[in-house]
Amino acid sequence: MPVAEILQVAAGGLLMGLIYALVAAGLSLIFGLMDVVNFAHGELMMLAMYAVFAIWQLTGADPLLLLPVVAVLLFGLGMAIYRGLIARALSVQFNRGMVQIFVTFGLAIFIRGAAQFVWGGEFRSVTGHWLADRSLNLGGVFLPLPQVAASLVCLAAFAGLLMVSRTEFGKALEATREDRDAVALIGIDRDRIFAMGWGLGAGAVGIAGVMLAGFYYVGPNVGASFAVIAYVTVALGGFGSMLGALVAGVLIGEVEAFTAALWEPSLKQVGVFAVYLLVLTFRPRGLFGKM
Amino acid sequence: MKRRALLLSAGALAATGRMARAAEDVVIGVVYPLTGNGAAVGLDAKAAYEVAVDIVNGTHAPIPMLMGQGGGLAKLGGAKIKLVFADSQNDPQKARAEAERLITQEKAVAILGSYTSATGATISQVTERYEVPYLAADNSSPSLHQRGLKWFFRTSPHDEMFTQGMFDFFRDIGAKTGRKAKTVALFYEDSIFGSDSSNVQRKLAQAAGMEVVADIKYRAASPSLSTEAQKLKSANADVILPSSYTSDAILIMKSMNDIGYKPKAMMAQAAGFQESAFLAGAGALAEGVMSRSSFALDATKSRPAITPVNTLYKAHNNKDMNDNTSREITALLTLADAINRAGSAKPEAIRQALVATDVPGDQTIMPWKGIKFDASGQNTLGTPVMQQVSGGIYRTVWPFELAVMEANWLV
Amino acid sequence: MDNAILRRRKREVLGGVIVLAALALLPLPIKDVYTQNLIIITVLFAGLAQAWNILGGYCGQISLGHALYFGVGGYVSTLLYLKAGLPPSLGLFAAFGVSGLLALPVGWPCFRLSGHYYAIATVVVGEIGYLLFLNWDFVGGATGVFIPFHGESWAQLQFKTAKLPYHYLVLAFAAATWLTAFLLEGSRWGFAWRAVKDDVTAARSLGVNIFSSKMAAAALSGGFTGMGGAIYAQYVGYIDPDSVLAGHFSILIALPAVLGGVSTLWGPLIGAAVLMPASELSRSYLGGSGRGVDLMLYGGLIVIVALARPQGLVSLFGRKDDHARIA
Repeated sequence: MPVAEILQVAAGGLLMGLIYALVAAGLSLIFGLMDVVNFAHGELMMLAMYAVFAIWQLTGADPLLLLPVVAVLLFGLGMAIYRGLIARALSVQFNRGMVQIFVTFGLAIFIRGAAQFVWGGEFRSVTGHWLADRSLNLGGVFLPLPQVAASLVCLAAFAGLLMVSRTEFGKALEATREDRDAVALIGIDRDRIFAMGWGLGAGAVGIAGVMLAGFYYVGPNVGASFAVIAYVTVALGGFGSMLGALVAGVLIGEVEAFTAALWEPSLKQVGVFAVYLLVLTFRPRGLFGKM
Repeated sequence: MKRRALLLSAGALAATGRMARAAEDVVIGVVYPLTGNGAAVGLDAKAAYEVAVDIVNGTHAPIPMLMGQGGGLAKLGGAKIKLVFADSQNDPQKARAEAERLITQEKAVAILGSYTSATGATISQVTERYEVPYLAADNSSPSLHQRGLKWFFRTSPHDEMFTQGMFDFFRDIGAKTGRKAKTVALFYEDSIFGSDSSNVQRKLAQAAGMEVVADIKYRAASPSLSTEAQKLKSANADVILPSSYTSDAILIMKSMNDIGYKPKAMMAQAAGFQESAFLAGAGALAEGVMSRSSFALDATKSRPAITPVNTLYKAHNNKDMNDNTSREITALLTLADAINRAGSAKPEAIRQALVATDVPGDQTIMPWKGIKFDASGQNTLGTPVMQQVSGGIYRTVWPFELAVMEANWLV
Repeated sequence: MDNAILRRRKREVLGGVIVLAALALLPLPIKDVYTQNLIIITVLFAGLAQAWNILGGYCGQISLGHALYFGVGGYVSTLLYLKAGLPPSLGLFAAFGVSGLLALPVGWPCFRLSGHYYAIATVVVGEIGYLLFLNWDFVGGATGVFIPFHGESWAQLQFKTAKLPYHYLVLAFAAATWLTAFLLEGSRWGFAWRAVKDDVTAARSLGVNIFSSKMAAAALSGGFTGMGGAIYAQYVGYIDPDSVLAGHFSILIALPAVLGGVSTLWGPLIGAAVLMPASELSRSYLGGSGRGVDLMLYGGLIVIVALARPQGLVSLFGRKDDHARIA
């Protein structure tokens, strides 16, 4: 393969990998905080994409401008899901692990049905915004601008998550993660922290959805395409580790791109899964997971 | 007066013991994915069948085509067709269960379906066992009619016929312009549709002396197709032959554009490329894309029924007929005509009438030579057209006698 | 104490016989094919969920990749029939063997993972299986395998339109999984697994080799799931990777056990008896609208049951002492 092609494939992998990382970040955050895997995570992303589409269709506003609006909407939705469902799922006496898996799974099916109810089964695209279909040509290596913007936003979101962890709230978050029961003794409202955690997790995947809507189609099942990759990213990076999500996301993007380039495109996810299983053999809690 | 005539004909039918059913609705079962992955196509299909059944049952100005006069099934005393829809969710097991339910519970005398080939495979198996005709409106896998089924009929051309049309077009346009396509790149999803389509394309490319310079099977509904686009760019074939559903069709056009690649020519195996969501989603990137089609919306001169039928469809579903919906309407009209000719809603009578079907092309909305089934139940007269996107819509470019514009052939 | 357990187990056997008899008689007065089909699918999934329950419930390893065993079982019996002429009635047992053996190399690395890492790993292993079959021409690839109809035969498990033979087939299958679960409940392994859930170190000190008992549970669970897949393939007459290996099948297999009540003998059956009709009926009578209402109802039902009855629907019927045992 010529060098330019290798660079092009690597660039594609990197840009996609950063999106995977941001989708996974929210999932990882929620897991780290309360040991819950949200199986409706992809559906939250899908809702964010539909929100962009709906507002764009109504007002013609550029998707990038909608970023704060949709992020806030998703933040609220995340908190509502926590208050309405997850808090209950965490308070059950039996099979807590299974209950939370299947509550979020049922929620995922419900959201898919609801999306179809509102928007129909048709694939939608947000077109004609100022970055749409434009690329940067760096000596024969092309960088599509919507993806570049998505990557920058993704890095900014990670920086933002890092900043949050330095604040008073972040310390409470960390304390809650360390010892759920002890924090109550020092006056931290655990329930509020959890709800905020869900808000942040949903907000993060909402940001990913907004950026994705700039170059990817929207449909009721779009969350499913990303969900499995997101779970693998989180487990590969280590549940609860933000840095892990970032590294694993990029790694998966690259492995996927090069498996497709050098082997079979239809088996590119097998390449990703194989790397994941290999890593897990040596590090059962992922690259950055606490042992 | 009219009522008396009806009663009289009912009386005539009574002699053959069919009176009880004479004016009853004739139930036809329709199985499509109405939720889940194929829902968009399934919902369009539902709208298409509803329009077609209104044409058969309703009172309206006569449309110059098969069953276009309205007023129900004349030979069954004006009986109306009643459609019962069922959701397969694109799952072969559910498609099978729904076909059984439609036959045994809803008393459907025939089944129409079903978009994907996998569901077509199980539905046709049920109809074979219950001895009820299955009319495949839009399943295009060649494997379906090659199983020796007695109750299977397919109005639509299958992938081999479609692909043969593509290569005939390459030959004709090459002769006409002096620019022959010498290389092709195959790009197809990892499904039954993709593998059937690519198998035929590989075979016919070889027969036409064209070199396959890229053979790319990709994972359907992937988050990214950027590496796949890079492979297509590296191969830089004269013609790219994609077989994709809507979402991937949009994504590959964007992904090729992202890396600064504008293919010389693309000839799609219809499917997603013929959907309005593709034209909307890919926008300007879709310009110049070619696709085979079993339907030509612009062939209004030779097919006068297209305009009135499309007006009805557009009023009902807010979009123009396309490759799929036109085939679905045609399938229903063909079936209604067979039931009418059979003069009976008995499955065996309908089957025999289907076998005897011989409809000239100008009696349909399709650009086909006509509808006539061979021993395997395949319509042998379904001839495809080639179309090209120009100004945001598909326009027919081949066969040349049906063309509304010159193909923009940049090979 | 021992007497109480013995009495309870006798009661379970009696209950099992009564339910078996009732299910054997159930389809006789039913004439319509749709309901017969619904019952068959329900009983089949009760058996599959019980097979899952052996590993996911009793042994506590929440697998979300059972579609792999299900699909492989279906392919094994179908391909042995079409390529080697082995009648599917024997192919069922081959499917049991192959899927059971397959569960060993899958379980070996995965059992080292804890909690959600294990669940995600099983999802991934299932996905790999799906993708490999999709790209493997020998097994029909994406085109799948069509089982031609050669006339009615018990050996080949083919019946033109009759549903009753399939009903007794799936009933026998479900009964076998129930019996296995019953025997495991009373076995040393069963005690060990319950102990592991409470306290891993304490269980080790009991002198039970946890790892090998987990492997055995995986093999039994995978084997029965494969057998169910073989029955399913024969019943539907066509299999392709999307319809037997896709990830959502893993959830469909686990769901009745989880909602009905994990680690219980009757949970999977009760869960299947609620879920399968709910899913089929909502699709048949609401799916036709194409508006996703069926998905909303189905998803909503899962959420509500999981929250309202975390110990499973079986607790609606259970006695006090059973509750104590589940806890």
